[in-house]
Amino acid sequence: MSPAERPLSPHLQIYRPQLTSVLSIMHRGTGLALGAGAFFFVWWLSGAAWSDTCFAAAQWFWGSWLGKLFLLGWTFSLFYHLLNGVRHLLWDIGVGFDLRSTYRTGWTVVVCSVLLTLFAFGGGLYAWGSP
Amino acid sequence: MRGGAAVRHWRAQRIIALVLIPLVLWLVESLLAHLGANRTEIRSWLGEPLPAVAAALLVAVAFYHLALGVRVVLEDYVHTPGRLAAALIANRVVCWALALIALAAVATLAFGS
Repeated sequence: MSPAERPLSPHLQIYRPQLTSVLSIMHRGTGLALGAGAFFFVWWLSGAAWSDTCFAAAQWFWGSWLGKLFLLGWTFSLFYHLLNGVRHLLWDIGVGFDLRSTYRTGWTVVVCSVLLTLFAFGGGLYAWGSP
Repeated sequence: MRGGAAVRHWRAQRIIALVLIPLVLWLVESLLAHLGANRTEIRSWLGEPLPAVAAALLVAVAFYHLALGVRVVLEDYVHTPGRLAAALIANRVVCWALALIALAAVATLAFGS
Protein backbone atom coordinates (compact mmCIF):
# COMPACT_ATOMS: atom_id res chain seq x y z
CA MET A 1 0.00 0.00 0.00
CA SER A 2 1.43 3.34 -0.99
CA PRO A 3 0.69 5.97 1.65
CA ALA A 4 0.64 8.78 -0.95
CA GLU A 5 -2.62 7.50 -2.49
CA ARG A 6 -4.70 8.25 0.56
CA PRO A 7 -6.24 11.71 0.87
CA LEU A 8 -4.10 13.84 3.19
CA SER A 9 -5.29 16.23 5.87
CA PRO A 10 -4.19 19.85 5.34
CA HIS A 11 -0.61 20.39 6.46
CA LEU A 12 1.48 23.40 7.52
CA GLN A 13 1.46 25.33 4.23
CA ILE A 14 -2.35 25.52 4.25
CA TYR A 15 -2.60 27.55 7.44
CA ARG A 16 -1.72 31.18 8.12
CA PRO A 17 1.35 31.26 10.40
CA GLN A 18 0.52 32.16 14.01
CA LEU A 19 2.83 32.75 16.96
CA THR A 20 1.71 29.47 18.54
CA SER A 21 2.41 27.31 15.49
CA VAL A 22 5.63 29.12 14.55
CA LEU A 23 7.05 28.72 18.06
CA SER A 24 6.06 25.05 18.10
CA ILE A 25 7.86 24.42 14.80
CA MET A 26 10.84 26.40 16.06
CA HIS A 27 11.02 24.18 19.14
CA ARG A 28 11.41 21.17 16.89
CA GLY A 29 13.81 22.97 14.55
CA THR A 30 16.08 24.21 17.34
CA GLY A 31 16.03 20.73 18.90
CA LEU A 32 17.25 19.22 15.63
CA ALA A 33 19.85 22.00 15.25
CA LEU A 34 21.16 21.19 18.72
CA GLY A 35 21.31 17.53 17.71
CA ALA A 36 23.53 18.52 14.76
CA GLY A 37 25.56 20.65 17.17
CA ALA A 38 26.10 17.58 19.35
CA PHE A 39 28.17 16.03 16.53
CA PHE A 40 30.50 19.03 16.56
CA PHE A 41 30.62 19.01 20.35
CA VAL A 42 31.69 15.35 20.37
CA TRP A 43 34.28 16.12 17.67
CA TRP A 44 35.77 18.88 19.86
CA LEU A 45 35.59 16.79 23.05
CA SER A 46 37.22 13.77 21.35
CA GLY A 47 39.99 16.03 20.11
CA ALA A 48 40.54 17.35 23.62
CA ALA A 49 40.74 13.77 24.89
CA TRP A 50 42.75 12.01 22.21
CA SER A 51 44.16 14.07 19.36
CA ASP A 52 46.07 17.34 18.95
CA THR A 53 45.26 17.42 15.21
CA CYS A 54 41.54 16.87 15.78
CA PHE A 55 41.43 19.43 18.59
CA ALA A 56 43.34 22.05 16.57
CA ALA A 57 40.96 21.48 13.63
CA ALA A 58 37.93 21.95 15.88
CA GLN A 59 39.40 25.10 17.46
CA TRP A 60 40.22 26.45 13.99
CA PHE A 61 36.64 25.79 12.90
CA TRP A 62 35.12 27.66 15.87
CA GLY A 63 37.39 30.60 15.07
CA SER A 64 36.33 30.77 11.41
CA TRP A 65 33.38 32.94 10.35
CA LEU A 66 31.35 29.85 9.47
CA GLY A 67 32.11 28.32 12.88
CA LYS A 68 31.08 31.54 14.61
CA LEU A 69 27.85 31.62 12.58
CA PHE A 70 27.13 28.02 13.68
CA LEU A 71 27.91 28.97 17.29
CA LEU A 72 25.52 31.91 17.06
CA GLY A 73 22.80 29.59 15.74
CA TRP A 74 23.46 27.02 18.45
CA THR A 75 23.53 29.64 21.19
CA PHE A 76 20.11 30.89 20.10
CA SER A 77 18.81 27.33 19.62
CA LEU A 78 19.97 26.37 23.09
CA PHE A 79 18.37 29.33 24.87
CA TYR A 80 15.19 29.12 22.81
CA HIS A 81 14.79 25.36 23.30
CA LEU A 82 15.57 25.73 27.01
CA LEU A 83 13.07 28.55 27.64
CA ASN A 84 10.35 27.13 25.41
CA GLY A 85 10.99 23.74 27.02
CA VAL A 86 10.22 25.28 30.41
CA ARG A 87 7.05 26.73 28.82
CA HIS A 88 6.10 23.22 27.74
CA LEU A 89 6.81 21.81 31.21
CA LEU A 90 4.56 24.49 32.74
CA TRP A 91 1.79 23.58 30.28
CA ASP A 92 2.23 19.95 31.32
CA ILE A 93 1.33 20.84 34.91
CA GLY A 94 -1.56 22.98 33.65
CA VAL A 95 0.02 26.43 34.06
CA GLY A 96 -0.53 29.13 31.40
CA PHE A 97 -2.59 26.96 29.12
CA ASP A 98 -5.15 29.63 28.12
CA LEU A 99 -4.74 31.58 24.87
CA ARG A 100 -3.77 34.91 26.47
CA SER A 101 -1.03 33.35 28.63
CA THR A 102 0.19 31.27 25.70
CA TYR A 103 0.81 34.42 23.66
CA ARG A 104 2.33 36.27 26.58
CA THR A 105 4.75 33.46 27.49
CA GLY A 106 5.46 32.91 23.78
CA TRP A 107 6.64 36.48 23.25
CA THR A 108 8.55 36.34 26.54
CA VAL A 109 10.43 33.27 25.30
CA VAL A 110 11.26 34.99 21.99
CA VAL A 111 12.51 38.22 23.59
CA CYS A 112 14.44 36.48 26.38
CA SER A 113 16.16 33.99 24.09
CA VAL A 114 17.27 36.80 21.75
CA LEU A 115 18.59 38.84 24.70
CA LEU A 116 20.37 35.85 26.28
CA THR A 117 21.89 34.97 22.90
CA LEU A 118 23.20 38.52 22.39
CA PHE A 119 24.52 38.57 25.95
CA ALA A 120 26.26 35.18 25.84
CA PHE A 121 27.51 35.43 22.26
CA GLY A 122 28.62 39.04 22.60
CA GLY A 123 30.33 38.27 25.90
CA GLY A 124 31.98 35.24 24.32
CA LEU A 125 33.27 37.21 21.34
CA TYR A 126 34.57 39.91 23.67
CA ALA A 127 36.31 37.39 25.96
CA TRP A 128 37.76 35.53 22.99
CA GLY A 129 39.10 38.72 21.44
CA SER A 130 40.78 39.83 24.66
CA PRO A 131 41.88 36.81 26.67
CA MET B 1 4.23 3.06 19.87
CA ARG B 2 2.12 0.97 22.25
CA GLY B 3 0.26 2.63 25.10
CA GLY B 4 2.66 1.84 27.95
CA ALA B 5 5.73 2.70 25.91
CA ALA B 6 4.25 6.05 24.85
CA VAL B 7 3.56 7.02 28.47
CA ARG B 8 7.10 6.02 29.48
CA HIS B 9 8.50 8.06 26.55
CA TRP B 10 6.45 11.10 27.57
CA ARG B 11 7.42 10.85 31.24
CA ALA B 12 11.10 10.18 30.52
CA GLN B 13 11.34 13.18 28.17
CA ARG B 14 9.93 15.49 30.89
CA ILE B 15 12.10 14.17 33.75
CA ILE B 16 15.18 14.39 31.52
CA ALA B 17 14.26 17.92 30.49
CA LEU B 18 14.16 18.97 34.16
CA VAL B 19 17.57 17.40 34.80
CA LEU B 20 18.94 19.13 31.69
CA ILE B 21 18.02 22.66 32.83
CA PRO B 22 20.82 23.11 35.41
CA LEU B 23 23.28 21.00 33.39
CA VAL B 24 22.84 23.08 30.23
CA LEU B 25 23.24 26.35 32.13
CA TRP B 26 26.42 24.93 33.66
CA LEU B 27 27.66 23.95 30.17
CA VAL B 28 27.10 27.44 28.73
CA GLU B 29 28.89 29.04 31.66
CA SER B 30 31.77 26.55 31.44
CA LEU B 31 32.21 26.86 27.68
CA LEU B 32 32.26 30.65 27.95
CA ALA B 33 34.89 30.36 30.68
CA HIS B 34 37.02 28.07 28.48
CA LEU B 35 36.88 29.86 25.12
CA GLY B 36 40.14 29.32 23.28
CA ALA B 37 41.41 26.98 26.01
CA ASN B 38 44.07 24.48 24.94
CA ARG B 39 43.99 20.73 25.63
CA THR B 40 45.91 21.06 28.90
CA GLU B 41 43.42 23.62 30.19
CA ILE B 42 40.45 21.45 29.15
CA ARG B 43 42.07 18.48 30.89
CA SER B 44 42.66 20.39 34.12
CA TRP B 45 39.04 21.62 34.00
CA LEU B 46 37.53 18.14 33.52
CA GLY B 47 40.18 16.66 35.82
CA GLU B 48 38.22 18.17 38.72
CA PRO B 49 35.62 15.73 40.12
CA LEU B 50 32.55 17.97 39.99
CA PRO B 51 32.92 19.18 36.37
CA ALA B 52 33.74 15.62 35.26
CA VAL B 53 30.60 14.21 36.88
CA ALA B 54 28.48 17.09 35.50
CA ALA B 55 29.90 16.57 31.99
CA ALA B 56 29.30 12.80 32.10
CA LEU B 57 25.75 13.29 33.37
CA LEU B 58 25.07 15.98 30.77
CA VAL B 59 26.31 13.80 27.92
CA ALA B 60 24.27 10.77 29.02
CA VAL B 61 21.09 12.73 29.63
CA ALA B 62 21.37 15.02 26.59
CA PHE B 63 21.78 12.15 24.11
CA TYR B 64 18.83 10.33 25.68
CA HIS B 65 16.78 13.52 25.27
CA LEU B 66 17.97 13.82 21.65
CA ALA B 67 17.11 10.19 20.86
CA LEU B 68 13.59 10.58 22.28
CA GLY B 69 13.06 13.88 20.43
CA VAL B 70 14.31 12.65 17.05
CA ARG B 71 12.15 9.55 17.44
CA VAL B 72 9.01 11.71 17.61
CA VAL B 73 10.10 13.68 14.53
CA LEU B 74 10.74 10.46 12.58
CA GLU B 75 7.36 9.01 13.63
CA ASP B 76 5.71 12.21 12.37
CA TYR B 77 7.41 12.49 8.99
CA VAL B 78 8.52 9.02 7.85
CA HIS B 79 5.36 7.33 6.62
CA THR B 80 6.69 4.12 5.04
CA PRO B 81 6.75 1.40 7.76
CA GLY B 82 10.02 -0.20 6.60
CA ARG B 83 11.80 3.11 6.30
CA LEU B 84 10.50 4.23 9.67
CA ALA B 85 11.79 1.07 11.34
CA ALA B 86 15.22 1.57 9.75
CA ALA B 87 15.29 5.26 10.69
CA LEU B 88 14.36 4.49 14.31
CA ILE B 89 17.17 1.95 14.57
CA ALA B 90 19.64 4.37 12.96
CA ASN B 91 18.56 7.04 15.45
CA ARG B 92 19.27 4.75 18.40
CA VAL B 93 22.60 3.58 17.01
CA VAL B 94 23.86 7.10 16.26
CA CYS B 95 22.74 8.52 19.62
CA TRP B 96 24.25 5.60 21.53
CA ALA B 97 27.51 5.85 19.58
CA LEU B 98 27.84 9.61 20.12
CA ALA B 99 27.00 9.27 23.82
CA LEU B 100 29.56 6.47 24.34
CA ILE B 101 32.31 8.34 22.46
CA ALA B 102 31.59 11.48 24.47
CA LEU B 103 31.54 9.54 27.77
CA ALA B 104 34.83 7.85 26.90
CA ALA B 105 36.31 11.27 26.07
CA VAL B 106 35.12 12.73 29.39
CA ALA B 107 36.55 9.69 31.24
CA THR B 108 39.87 10.05 29.41
CA LEU B 109 40.03 13.75 30.28
CA ALA B 110 39.05 13.04 33.89
CA PHE B 111 41.32 10.08 34.62
CA GLY B 112 43.90 10.17 31.79
CA SER B 113 47.53 11.16 32.28
